Amino acid sequence: MTLTLTLRADPPARVLAAPLIPERLRGLNASAVAALDLRCGGETVAVDDLFEVSGAGTEEEELVLAGDLRRFDGIGARMSSGEIVVRGDVGAWAGAEVSGGVLRVFGDAGARLGAAYPGARAGMTGGEIVVTGDAGEEAGAGMRRGLVAVGGRTGNGAGLRMLAGTVIALGGIGAEAGLGNKRGSLVSGRPVEPLPAYAFATRFRPPALGLQLRRVRELGLTVDDALLRGTWARWSGDQTELTRGEILIFDDEEERRE
Amino acid sequence: MSGYQLGSAQIADTFAEAFPMRYARILITAASDAWALEAAHSMTGFATSVIGCKCEAAIERSLTCAETPDGRPGIAVLLFAMDREGVGKRVLERVGQSVMTCPTTACFDGLEGADKTVPLGASLRYFGDGFQASKVIAGRRFWRIPVMEGEFLVCESVGVGSGVGGGNLVIAAADEDAALAAARAAAEAMRGEGIALPFPGGIVRSGSKVGSLTSKSMAASTNHQMAPTLRAQVDDTLVPGGVGAMFEIVIDGASESAVREAMRRGLHAAAGAGATHVTAANFGGKLGQFHFPLSELRDPP
Repeated sequence: MTLTLTLRADPPARVLAAPLIPERLRGLNASAVAALDLRCGGETVAVDDLFEVSGAGTEEEELVLAGDLRRFDGIGARMSSGEIVVRGDVGAWAGAEVSGGVLRVFGDAGARLGAAYPGARAGMTGGEIVVTGDAGEEAGAGMRRGLVAVGGRTGNGAGLRMLAGTVIALGGIGAEAGLGNKRGSLVSGRPVEPLPAYAFATRFRPPALGLQLRRVRELGLTVDDALLRGTWARWSGDQTELTRGEILIFDDEEERRE
Repeated sequence: MSGYQLGSAQIADTFAEAFPMRYARILITAASDAWALEAAHSMTGFATSVIGCKCEAAIERSLTCAETPDGRPGIAVLLFAMDREGVGKRVLERVGQSVMTCPTTACFDGLEGADKTVPLGASLRYFGDGFQASKVIAGRRFWRIPVMEGEFLVCESVGVGSGVGGGNLVIAAADEDAALAAARAAAEAMRGEGIALPFPGGIVRSGSKVGSLTSKSMAASTNHQMAPTLRAQVDDTLVPGGVGAMFEIVIDGASESAVREAMRRGLHAAAGAGATHVTAANFGGKLGQFHFPLSELRDPP
Protein backbone atom coordinates (compact mmCIF):
# COMPACT_ATOMS: atom_id res chain seq x y z
CA MET A 1 0.00 0.00 0.00
CA THR A 2 1.36 3.40 -1.00
CA LEU A 3 2.64 5.60 1.80
CA THR A 4 0.31 8.58 2.08
CA LEU A 5 0.77 11.65 4.25
CA THR A 6 -2.30 13.84 4.52
CA LEU A 7 -1.90 17.27 6.07
CA ARG A 8 -3.89 17.70 9.27
CA ALA A 9 -3.68 21.51 9.53
CA ASP A 10 -1.50 24.42 8.50
CA PRO A 11 1.82 24.30 10.38
CA PRO A 12 2.66 27.21 12.69
CA ALA A 13 5.85 28.02 10.71
CA ARG A 14 7.58 26.96 7.48
CA VAL A 15 8.54 23.30 7.45
CA LEU A 16 11.62 21.76 5.87
CA ALA A 17 10.16 18.69 4.20
CA ALA A 18 13.35 17.46 2.52
CA PRO A 19 13.60 14.32 4.70
CA LEU A 20 10.37 13.00 3.20
CA ILE A 21 11.78 11.27 0.15
CA PRO A 22 10.94 7.72 -0.91
CA GLU A 23 14.42 6.27 -0.56
CA ARG A 24 14.56 7.29 3.09
CA LEU A 25 11.10 5.96 3.84
CA ARG A 26 11.47 2.61 2.10
CA GLY A 27 10.58 -0.24 4.43
CA LEU A 28 9.20 2.01 7.19
CA ASN A 29 5.72 1.35 8.46
CA ALA A 30 3.22 4.10 9.19
CA SER A 31 4.15 4.47 12.85
CA ALA A 32 7.85 4.70 12.07
CA VAL A 33 7.18 7.40 9.50
CA ALA A 34 4.90 9.22 11.90
CA ALA A 35 7.70 9.34 14.45
CA LEU A 36 10.23 11.00 12.13
CA ASP A 37 11.35 14.51 12.95
CA LEU A 38 10.91 17.57 10.76
CA ARG A 39 12.12 21.12 11.27
CA CYS A 40 9.22 23.55 11.68
CA GLY A 41 10.48 27.09 12.16
CA GLY A 42 12.99 26.82 14.99
CA GLU A 43 11.35 23.74 16.41
CA THR A 44 11.49 20.02 15.79
CA VAL A 45 8.14 18.36 15.27
CA ALA A 46 7.08 14.82 14.49
CA VAL A 47 5.59 13.96 11.16
CA ASP A 48 2.57 12.79 13.12
CA ASP A 49 2.04 16.33 14.42
CA LEU A 50 1.52 17.57 10.89
CA PHE A 51 0.28 14.62 8.86
CA GLU A 52 -2.03 11.69 9.11
CA VAL A 53 0.09 8.77 7.93
CA SER A 54 -1.25 5.70 6.17
CA GLY A 55 0.35 2.87 4.26
CA ALA A 56 4.03 2.08 4.41
CA GLY A 57 7.21 2.80 2.51
CA THR A 58 7.24 0.33 -0.33
CA GLU A 59 9.91 -1.09 -2.60
CA GLU A 60 8.26 0.83 -5.42
CA GLU A 61 9.09 3.96 -3.46
CA GLU A 62 5.90 5.87 -4.07
CA LEU A 63 4.99 8.59 -1.63
CA VAL A 64 1.80 10.65 -1.75
CA LEU A 65 1.55 13.99 0.03
CA ALA A 66 -1.88 15.57 0.20
CA GLY A 67 -2.97 19.00 1.32
CA ASP A 68 -2.04 22.64 0.96
CA LEU A 69 1.71 22.38 1.40
CA ARG A 70 2.70 25.92 0.45
CA ARG A 71 4.49 26.26 3.80
CA PHE A 72 6.50 23.10 3.19
CA ASP A 73 9.85 23.75 1.56
CA GLY A 74 12.21 21.28 -0.07
CA ILE A 75 9.61 18.63 -0.90
CA GLY A 76 11.44 15.95 -2.84
CA ALA A 77 14.76 17.76 -2.51
CA ARG A 78 17.76 15.58 -3.33
CA MET A 79 15.64 12.52 -4.09
CA SER A 80 17.40 10.04 -6.31
CA SER A 81 14.73 7.43 -6.99
CA GLY A 82 11.09 6.59 -6.62
CA GLU A 83 8.13 8.86 -7.08
CA ILE A 84 6.47 11.57 -5.03
CA VAL A 85 2.97 12.67 -5.91
CA VAL A 86 1.74 15.86 -4.28
CA ARG A 87 -1.95 16.63 -4.37
CA GLY A 88 -1.83 20.31 -3.55
CA ASP A 89 0.50 23.29 -3.75
CA VAL A 90 4.11 23.11 -2.55
CA GLY A 91 6.50 25.71 -1.15
CA ALA A 92 9.96 26.77 -2.26
CA TRP A 93 12.87 24.52 -3.25
CA ALA A 94 10.65 21.60 -4.26
CA GLY A 95 12.81 19.06 -6.07
CA ALA A 96 15.99 20.98 -5.35
CA GLU A 97 19.07 19.12 -6.52
CA VAL A 98 17.11 16.04 -7.52
CA SER A 99 19.27 13.35 -9.11
CA GLY A 100 16.62 10.81 -10.09
CA GLY A 101 13.04 9.71 -9.73
CA VAL A 102 9.86 11.63 -10.43
CA LEU A 103 8.21 14.46 -8.49
CA ARG A 104 4.69 15.23 -9.63
CA VAL A 105 2.86 18.21 -8.15
CA PHE A 106 -0.82 18.58 -8.90
CA GLY A 107 -0.91 22.22 -7.93
CA ASP A 108 1.44 25.21 -7.89
CA ALA A 109 5.09 25.30 -6.81
CA GLY A 110 6.99 28.07 -5.08
CA ALA A 111 10.32 29.58 -5.98
CA ARG A 112 13.47 27.68 -6.97
CA LEU A 113 11.68 24.58 -8.21
CA GLY A 114 14.33 21.95 -9.04
CA ALA A 115 17.05 24.48 -8.38
CA ALA A 116 20.54 24.39 -6.92
CA TYR A 117 21.03 25.39 -3.33
CA PRO A 118 23.13 28.54 -2.90
CA GLY A 119 26.80 27.79 -3.45
CA ALA A 120 26.20 24.46 -5.17
CA ARG A 121 27.97 23.95 -8.50
CA ALA A 122 24.97 22.20 -10.00
CA GLY A 123 21.32 21.73 -9.18
CA MET A 124 19.30 18.91 -10.66
CA THR A 125 21.44 16.15 -12.09
CA GLY A 126 18.63 13.86 -13.24
CA GLY A 127 15.04 12.91 -12.74
CA GLU A 128 11.80 14.57 -13.69
CA ILE A 129 9.71 17.25 -12.01
CA VAL A 130 6.23 18.00 -13.26
CA VAL A 131 3.96 20.74 -11.89
CA THR A 132 0.46 21.10 -13.25
CA GLY A 133 0.04 24.69 -12.11
CA ASP A 134 2.47 27.61 -11.99
CA ALA A 135 5.99 27.74 -10.57
CA GLY A 136 7.79 30.59 -8.84
CA GLU A 137 11.02 32.36 -9.68
CA GLU A 138 14.21 30.70 -10.85
CA ALA A 139 12.81 27.30 -11.67
CA GLY A 140 15.57 24.95 -12.77
CA ALA A 141 18.32 27.33 -11.68
CA GLY A 142 21.73 25.69 -11.98
CA MET A 143 20.37 22.42 -13.34
CA ARG A 144 22.82 20.07 -15.06
CA ARG A 145 20.49 17.31 -16.29
CA GLY A 146 16.87 16.34 -16.02
CA LEU A 147 13.49 17.82 -16.78
CA VAL A 148 11.36 20.46 -15.08
CA ALA A 149 7.96 20.82 -16.73
CA VAL A 150 5.29 23.26 -15.65
CA GLY A 151 1.78 23.26 -17.02
CA GLY A 152 1.29 26.94 -16.26
CA ARG A 153 3.83 29.75 -16.13
CA THR A 154 7.20 30.00 -14.46
CA GLY A 155 8.24 33.12 -12.62
CA ASN A 156 11.16 35.29 -13.62
CA GLY A 157 14.66 33.94 -14.04
CA ALA A 158 13.89 30.33 -14.99
CA GLY A 159 17.01 28.39 -15.93
CA LEU A 160 19.32 30.84 -14.22
CA ARG A 161 22.92 29.66 -14.78
CA MET A 162 21.70 26.28 -15.96
CA LEU A 163 24.37 23.97 -17.31
CA ALA A 164 22.12 21.65 -19.29
CA GLY A 165 18.76 19.91 -18.94
CA THR A 166 15.32 21.19 -19.88
CA VAL A 167 12.80 23.57 -18.33
CA ILE A 168 9.38 23.57 -20.00
CA ALA A 169 6.64 26.08 -19.22
CA LEU A 170 3.57 25.31 -21.29
CA GLY A 171 1.84 28.46 -20.08
CA GLY A 172 4.86 30.58 -20.81
CA ILE A 173 8.24 31.13 -19.31
CA GLY A 174 8.79 34.24 -17.20
CA ALA A 175 11.01 37.19 -18.00
CA GLU A 176 14.80 37.04 -17.92
CA ALA A 177 14.87 33.32 -18.54
CA GLY A 178 18.16 31.58 -19.24
CA LEU A 179 20.56 34.15 -17.87
CA GLY A 180 24.00 32.51 -17.83
CA ASN A 181 22.63 29.37 -19.52
CA LYS A 182 25.38 27.18 -20.99
CA ARG A 183 23.73 24.20 -22.76
CA GLY A 184 20.26 24.05 -21.32
CA SER A 185 16.92 24.14 -23.09
CA LEU A 186 14.15 26.50 -22.01
CA VAL A 187 10.77 25.92 -23.60
CA SER A 188 7.91 28.39 -23.62
CA GLY A 189 4.49 27.42 -24.86
CA ARG A 190 3.55 31.11 -25.03
CA PRO A 191 5.31 34.11 -26.56
CA VAL A 192 8.12 35.59 -24.51
CA GLU A 193 10.84 38.09 -25.32
CA PRO A 194 14.23 36.47 -24.77
CA LEU A 195 17.08 38.29 -23.11
CA PRO A 196 19.30 40.32 -25.44
CA ALA A 197 21.99 37.68 -25.02
CA TYR A 198 19.88 35.29 -27.14
CA ALA A 199 19.83 35.46 -30.94
CA PHE A 200 17.06 34.16 -33.19
CA ALA A 201 18.14 31.07 -35.20
CA THR A 202 15.16 29.56 -37.00
CA ARG A 203 11.69 28.13 -36.82
CA PHE A 204 11.40 24.35 -36.92
CA ARG A 205 9.79 21.28 -35.40
CA PRO A 206 12.23 20.08 -32.72
CA PRO A 207 12.00 16.28 -32.67
CA ALA A 208 13.46 15.91 -29.18
CA LEU A 209 10.95 18.37 -27.78
CA GLY A 210 8.17 16.28 -29.25
CA LEU A 211 9.36 13.32 -27.22
CA GLN A 212 9.66 15.43 -24.10
CA LEU A 213 6.15 16.82 -24.49
CA ARG A 214 4.79 13.31 -24.90
CA ARG A 215 6.64 12.32 -21.76
CA VAL A 216 5.23 15.15 -19.65
CA ARG A 217 1.80 14.29 -20.96
CA GLU A 218 2.34 10.78 -19.61
CA LEU A 219 3.31 12.32 -16.30
CA GLY A 220 0.06 14.23 -16.01
CA LEU A 221 0.38 17.56 -17.82
CA THR A 222 -2.20 18.62 -20.36
CA VAL A 223 -0.31 19.16 -23.59
CA ASP A 224 -2.16 20.74 -26.50
CA ASP A 225 -1.72 18.73 -29.69
CA ALA A 226 -0.83 21.98 -31.42
CA LEU A 227 2.43 22.04 -29.47
CA LEU A 228 3.29 18.63 -30.90
CA ARG A 229 2.37 19.54 -34.45
CA GLY A 230 3.48 23.12 -34.72
CA THR A 231 6.73 24.98 -35.23
CA TRP A 232 8.93 26.56 -32.61
CA ALA A 233 11.27 29.50 -32.78
CA ARG A 234 14.79 28.70 -31.65
CA TRP A 235 16.82 31.38 -29.91
CA SER A 236 20.45 30.58 -29.10
CA GLY A 237 22.29 31.82 -26.05
CA ASP A 238 23.42 32.88 -23.58
CA GLN A 239 25.96 34.57 -25.82
CA THR A 240 27.93 35.68 -22.80
CA GLU A 241 28.47 31.97 -22.08
CA LEU A 242 28.85 29.18 -24.68
CA THR A 243 25.91 30.08 -26.95
CA ARG A 244 25.05 26.39 -26.76
CA GLY A 245 21.84 26.88 -24.84
CA GLU A 246 18.45 27.54 -26.39
CA ILE A 247 15.06 29.02 -25.78
CA LEU A 248 12.31 27.37 -27.81
CA ILE A 249 9.16 29.45 -28.16
CA PHE A 250 6.01 28.08 -29.70
CA ASP A 251 5.10 30.39 -32.54
CA ASP A 252 2.54 28.50 -34.55
CA GLU A 253 -0.62 30.22 -33.40
CA GLU A 254 -2.30 29.13 -36.62
CA GLU A 255 -1.79 25.51 -35.54
CA ARG A 256 -3.10 26.29 -32.07
CA ARG A 257 -6.32 27.74 -33.48
CA GLU A 258 -7.07 24.63 -35.48
CA MET B 1 10.10 -37.67 -53.12
CA SER B 2 8.45 -38.96 -49.94
CA GLY B 3 6.77 -36.69 -47.45
CA TYR B 4 3.12 -35.71 -47.44
CA GLN B 5 0.52 -34.07 -49.63
CA LEU B 6 -0.83 -30.65 -48.71
CA GLY B 7 -3.41 -29.31 -51.11
CA SER B 8 -1.83 -29.32 -54.54
CA ALA B 9 1.68 -29.61 -53.15
CA GLN B 10 3.89 -32.54 -52.33
CA ILE B 11 5.83 -31.62 -49.20
CA ALA B 12 9.28 -33.16 -49.08
CA ASP B 13 10.51 -35.19 -46.14
CA THR B 14 13.35 -32.84 -45.32
CA PHE B 15 14.22 -29.91 -43.11
CA ALA B 16 15.51 -26.37 -43.26
CA GLU B 17 18.75 -25.75 -41.46
CA ALA B 18 19.36 -22.41 -39.76
CA PHE B 19 22.00 -20.67 -37.71
CA PRO B 20 22.20 -18.40 -34.70
CA MET B 21 22.50 -14.74 -35.62
CA ARG B 22 22.33 -11.44 -33.77
CA TYR B 23 19.86 -8.78 -34.72
CA ALA B 24 18.66 -5.26 -34.06
CA ARG B 25 15.23 -3.76 -34.57
CA ILE B 26 15.38 -0.17 -35.79
CA LEU B 27 12.32 2.03 -35.69
CA ILE B 28 12.35 4.72 -38.34
CA THR B 29 9.80 7.51 -38.13
CA ALA B 30 9.18 10.38 -40.49
CA ALA B 31 6.72 13.12 -41.32
CA SER B 32 4.82 10.74 -43.61
CA ASP B 33 4.53 7.03 -44.35
CA ALA B 34 6.22 7.66 -47.66
CA TRP B 35 9.39 9.17 -46.18
CA ALA B 36 9.63 6.48 -43.52
CA LEU B 37 9.37 3.91 -46.28
CA GLU B 38 12.02 5.65 -48.36
CA ALA B 39 14.45 5.49 -45.46
CA ALA B 40 13.59 1.87 -44.72
CA HIS B 41 14.04 0.84 -48.34
CA SER B 42 17.38 2.58 -48.46
CA MET B 43 18.52 1.07 -45.18
CA THR B 44 17.57 -2.45 -46.18
CA GLY B 45 18.98 -2.21 -49.69
CA PHE B 46 21.86 -4.51 -50.60
CA ALA B 47 21.31 -6.54 -47.45
CA THR B 48 20.18 -9.86 -48.87
CA SER B 49 22.90 -12.22 -47.73
CA VAL B 50 25.39 -11.95 -44.92
CA ILE B 51 27.94 -13.61 -47.20
CA GLY B 52 27.90 -10.89 -49.80
CA CYS B 53 26.44 -7.92 -47.95
CA LYS B 54 27.79 -8.39 -44.41
CA CYS B 55 24.25 -8.32 -43.05
CA GLU B 56 20.70 -9.28 -43.86
CA ALA B 57 17.96 -6.75 -43.38
CA ALA B 58 14.32 -6.24 -44.24
CA ILE B 59 11.27 -4.28 -43.30
CA GLU B 60 9.49 -6.07 -40.49
CA ARG B 61 6.26 -4.06 -40.62
CA SER B 62 4.70 -0.63 -40.80
CA LEU B 63 3.98 1.16 -37.54
CA THR B 64 0.99 3.34 -36.83
CA CYS B 65 1.42 6.73 -35.21
CA ALA B 66 0.23 5.19 -31.95
CA GLU B 67 3.05 2.64 -32.05
CA THR B 68 5.99 4.99 -32.48
CA PRO B 69 7.84 6.95 -29.80
CA ASP B 70 7.25 10.31 -31.45
CA GLY B 71 3.72 9.74 -32.68
CA ARG B 72 4.62 9.83 -36.36
CA PRO B 73 4.27 7.11 -38.99
CA GLY B 74 7.04 4.56 -38.86
CA ILE B 75 8.65 1.42 -40.14
CA ALA B 76 10.31 -1.34 -38.13
CA VAL B 77 13.44 -2.75 -39.74
CA LEU B 78 15.22 -5.93 -38.67
CA LEU B 79 18.95 -6.22 -39.34
CA PHE B 80 20.82 -9.48 -38.81
CA ALA B 81 24.55 -10.22 -38.68
CA MET B 82 26.66 -13.06 -37.40
CA ASP B 83 27.68 -11.36 -34.14
CA ARG B 84 27.01 -8.28 -32.05
CA GLU B 85 29.99 -6.44 -33.46
CA GLY B 86 28.70 -7.04 -36.96
CA VAL B 87 25.26 -5.75 -36.03
CA GLY B 88 26.81 -2.65 -34.51
CA LYS B 89 28.91 -1.83 -37.58
CA ARG B 90 26.16 -2.39 -40.07
CA VAL B 91 23.50 -0.51 -38.10
CA LEU B 92 25.83 2.45 -37.71
CA GLU B 93 26.68 2.51 -41.42
CA ARG B 94 23.15 2.12 -42.61
CA VAL B 95 21.45 4.51 -40.22
CA GLY B 96 24.18 7.04 -40.94
CA GLN B 97 23.92 6.76 -44.69
CA SER B 98 20.29 5.88 -45.25
CA VAL B 99 18.24 7.20 -42.34
CA MET B 100 20.04 10.32 -41.22
CA THR B 101 20.21 11.44 -44.83
CA CYS B 102 16.51 10.96 -45.47
CA PRO B 103 14.25 14.00 -44.98
CA THR B 104 12.25 14.28 -41.74
CA THR B 105 13.34 10.97 -40.20
CA ALA B 106 14.16 10.06 -36.61
CA CYS B 107 15.56 6.77 -35.40
CA PHE B 108 14.69 4.74 -32.31
CA ASP B 109 15.57 1.43 -30.70
CA GLY B 110 13.00 -1.30 -31.19
CA LEU B 111 14.58 -3.67 -28.66
CA GLU B 112 14.50 -1.59 -25.52
CA GLY B 113 15.50 -3.53 -22.45
CA ALA B 114 17.79 -5.90 -24.31
CA ASP B 115 20.74 -7.13 -22.26
CA LYS B 116 23.24 -6.28 -24.98
CA THR B 117 23.45 -3.05 -26.89
CA VAL B 118 25.59 -1.44 -29.55
CA PRO B 119 26.23 2.29 -29.87
CA LEU B 120 24.31 4.22 -32.47
CA GLY B 121 23.76 7.88 -31.63
CA ALA B 122 26.75 7.64 -29.33
CA SER B 123 28.87 7.28 -32.48
CA LEU B 124 26.77 9.10 -35.07
CA ARG B 125 26.77 12.22 -32.91
CA TYR B 126 30.25 13.08 -34.11
CA PHE B 127 28.73 14.00 -37.43
CA GLY B 128 27.40 16.97 -35.50
CA ASP B 129 30.95 18.31 -35.36
CA GLY B 130 30.64 19.48 -31.80
CA PHE B 131 27.24 21.12 -32.29
CA GLN B 132 25.34 17.99 -31.30
CA ALA B 133 23.39 17.91 -28.06
CA SER B 134 21.86 15.15 -26.04
CA LYS B 135 18.66 14.83 -24.07
CA VAL B 136 17.75 12.15 -21.57
CA ILE B 137 14.04 11.50 -21.96
CA ALA B 138 12.28 8.99 -19.70
CA GLY B 139 15.64 7.51 -18.78
CA ARG B 140 16.87 7.08 -22.34
CA ARG B 141 19.49 9.24 -23.99
CA PHE B 142 18.95 10.68 -27.43
CA TRP B 143 21.21 12.72 -29.64
CA ARG B 144 20.16 15.79 -31.56
CA ILE B 145 22.35 16.15 -34.61
CA PRO B 146 21.95 19.46 -36.41
CA VAL B 147 21.36 18.99 -40.15
CA MET B 148 20.39 21.25 -43.03
CA GLU B 149 16.72 20.51 -42.51
CA GLY B 150 16.69 21.00 -38.74
CA GLU B 151 17.69 18.18 -36.42
CA PHE B 152 18.11 14.44 -36.76
CA LEU B 153 17.08 12.68 -33.57
CA VAL B 154 18.67 9.32 -32.89
CA CYS B 155 18.81 7.04 -29.87
CA GLU B 156 22.09 6.60 -28.01
CA SER B 157 22.26 2.85 -28.58
CA VAL B 158 20.18 -0.03 -29.84
CA GLY B 159 19.52 -3.41 -28.31
CA VAL B 160 20.89 -6.59 -29.83
CA GLY B 161 18.96 -9.80 -29.60
CA SER B 162 19.70 -13.43 -30.35
CA GLY B 163 17.91 -14.55 -33.45
CA VAL B 164 17.89 -17.24 -36.10
CA GLY B 165 19.03 -16.82 -39.66
CA GLY B 166 18.66 -19.03 -42.70
CA GLY B 167 15.29 -20.66 -42.26
CA ASN B 168 13.97 -21.38 -45.72
CA LEU B 169 11.38 -22.88 -47.99
CA VAL B 170 11.87 -23.87 -51.60
CA ILE B 171 8.68 -23.58 -53.63
CA ALA B 172 8.26 -25.24 -56.99
CA ALA B 173 5.65 -25.44 -59.73
CA ALA B 174 5.31 -26.40 -63.37
CA ASP B 175 6.46 -23.07 -64.73
CA GLU B 176 7.91 -19.76 -63.66
CA ASP B 177 4.59 -17.94 -63.41
CA ALA B 178 2.97 -20.57 -61.24
CA ALA B 179 5.99 -20.99 -59.00
CA LEU B 180 6.38 -17.26 -58.55
CA ALA B 181 2.70 -16.81 -57.70
CA ALA B 182 2.98 -19.49 -55.04
CA ALA B 183 6.20 -18.01 -53.67
CA ARG B 184 4.68 -14.53 -53.53
CA ALA B 185 1.70 -15.87 -51.62
CA ALA B 186 4.05 -17.61 -49.22
CA ALA B 187 6.21 -14.53 -48.67
CA GLU B 188 3.15 -12.41 -48.02
CA ALA B 189 1.92 -14.90 -45.44
CA MET B 190 5.29 -15.20 -43.75
CA ARG B 191 5.88 -11.52 -43.02
CA GLY B 192 5.05 -10.44 -39.51
CA GLU B 193 6.36 -9.70 -36.06
CA GLY B 194 9.95 -10.82 -35.67
CA ILE B 195 10.40 -11.88 -39.29
CA ALA B 196 12.72 -10.54 -41.98
CA LEU B 197 12.70 -11.80 -45.56
CA PRO B 198 15.89 -10.19 -46.82
CA PHE B 199 15.73 -10.99 -50.55
CA PRO B 200 13.92 -8.89 -53.16
CA GLY B 201 10.21 -9.24 -52.50
CA GLY B 202 11.21 -11.85 -49.96
CA ILE B 203 12.08 -14.29 -52.76
CA VAL B 204 15.40 -15.53 -54.09
CA ARG B 205 15.75 -17.27 -57.45
CA SER B 206 19.49 -17.88 -57.17
CA GLY B 207 19.67 -20.21 -54.23
CA SER B 208 23.24 -21.22 -53.54
CA LYS B 209 25.27 -24.12 -52.28
CA VAL B 210 28.33 -23.86 -50.08
CA GLY B 211 31.52 -23.72 -52.13
CA SER B 212 31.91 -24.54 -55.80
CA LEU B 213 32.52 -27.51 -58.03
CA THR B 214 35.07 -25.63 -60.07
CA SER B 215 36.80 -23.09 -57.84
CA LYS B 216 38.29 -23.29 -54.38
CA SER B 217 38.01 -19.54 -53.90
CA MET B 218 34.24 -19.38 -54.29
CA ALA B 219 32.41 -19.29 -50.96
CA ALA B 220 29.12 -20.07 -52.65
CA SER B 221 27.87 -20.96 -56.08
CA THR B 222 24.60 -21.77 -57.80
CA ASN B 223 22.51 -24.55 -56.36
CA HIS B 224 22.85 -26.70 -59.45
CA GLN B 225 20.79 -29.46 -57.88
CA MET B 226 17.72 -27.19 -57.92
CA ALA B 227 18.26 -25.61 -61.32
CA PRO B 228 15.63 -27.02 -63.71
CA THR B 229 17.73 -26.24 -66.76
CA LEU B 230 20.43 -28.59 -65.45
CA ARG B 231 18.08 -31.47 -64.74
CA ALA B 232 19.34 -33.46 -67.67
CA GLN B 233 22.91 -32.34 -67.26
CA VAL B 234 23.79 -33.34 -63.69
CA ASP B 235 23.56 -36.62 -61.89
CA ASP B 236 22.43 -35.27 -58.55
CA THR B 237 19.45 -33.12 -59.56
CA LEU B 238 16.81 -32.51 -56.92
CA VAL B 239 14.29 -30.97 -59.30
CA PRO B 240 11.11 -33.08 -59.14
CA GLY B 241 9.54 -34.32 -62.31
CA GLY B 242 7.18 -31.80 -63.88
CA VAL B 243 8.78 -28.84 -62.17
CA GLY B 244 9.86 -25.94 -64.36
CA ALA B 245 10.85 -23.31 -61.78
CA MET B 246 11.83 -23.15 -58.11
CA PHE B 247 12.07 -20.19 -55.75
CA GLU B 248 13.54 -20.00 -52.28
CA ILE B 249 12.35 -17.87 -49.41
CA VAL B 250 15.00 -17.21 -46.78
CA ILE B 251 13.69 -16.35 -43.34
CA ASP B 252 15.54 -14.59 -40.56
CA GLY B 253 13.67 -14.40 -37.30
CA ALA B 254 13.83 -13.02 -33.82
CA SER B 255 13.46 -16.52 -32.41
CA GLU B 256 13.31 -20.15 -33.41
CA SER B 257 9.56 -20.20 -32.91
CA ALA B 258 9.09 -17.07 -35.03
CA VAL B 259 10.91 -18.76 -37.90
CA ARG B 260 9.02 -22.01 -37.47
CA GLU B 261 5.63 -20.30 -37.48
CA ALA B 262 6.57 -18.15 -40.46
CA MET B 263 7.57 -21.31 -42.32
CA ARG B 264 4.27 -22.89 -41.37
CA ARG B 265 2.34 -19.90 -42.75
CA GLY B 266 4.42 -19.89 -45.89
CA LEU B 267 4.12 -23.60 -46.48
CA HIS B 268 0.35 -23.57 -46.27
CA ALA B 269 0.05 -20.40 -48.34
CA ALA B 270 2.23 -21.87 -51.09
CA ALA B 271 0.27 -25.11 -51.08
CA GLY B 272 -2.92 -23.13 -51.45
CA ALA B 273 -1.55 -20.96 -54.25
CA GLY B 274 -0.54 -23.52 -56.83
CA ALA B 275 2.79 -24.90 -55.66
CA THR B 276 3.31 -28.48 -56.77
CA HIS B 277 6.26 -29.14 -54.50
CA VAL B 278 7.70 -27.55 -51.38
CA THR B 279 11.07 -28.53 -50.00
CA ALA B 280 13.84 -26.87 -47.99
CA ALA B 281 17.58 -26.41 -48.14
CA ASN B 282 19.99 -27.79 -45.61
CA PHE B 283 23.60 -28.83 -45.24
CA GLY B 284 22.99 -32.31 -44.00
CA GLY B 285 22.33 -31.08 -40.52
CA LYS B 286 25.99 -30.66 -39.71
CA LEU B 287 26.31 -26.89 -39.86
CA GLY B 288 23.21 -25.31 -38.45
CA GLN B 289 22.06 -25.42 -34.87
CA PHE B 290 18.38 -25.09 -35.76
CA HIS B 291 16.48 -27.68 -37.79
CA PHE B 292 12.95 -27.13 -39.06
CA PRO B 293 11.50 -30.37 -40.44
CA LEU B 294 8.69 -29.75 -42.88
CA SER B 295 6.90 -32.74 -41.37
CA GLU B 296 6.31 -30.62 -38.24
CA LEU B 297 4.58 -27.90 -40.22
CA ARG B 298 1.67 -29.99 -41.42
CA ASP B 299 -0.90 -28.45 -39.08
CA PRO B 300 -2.26 -25.19 -40.41
CA PRO B 301 -1.32 -21.90 -38.72
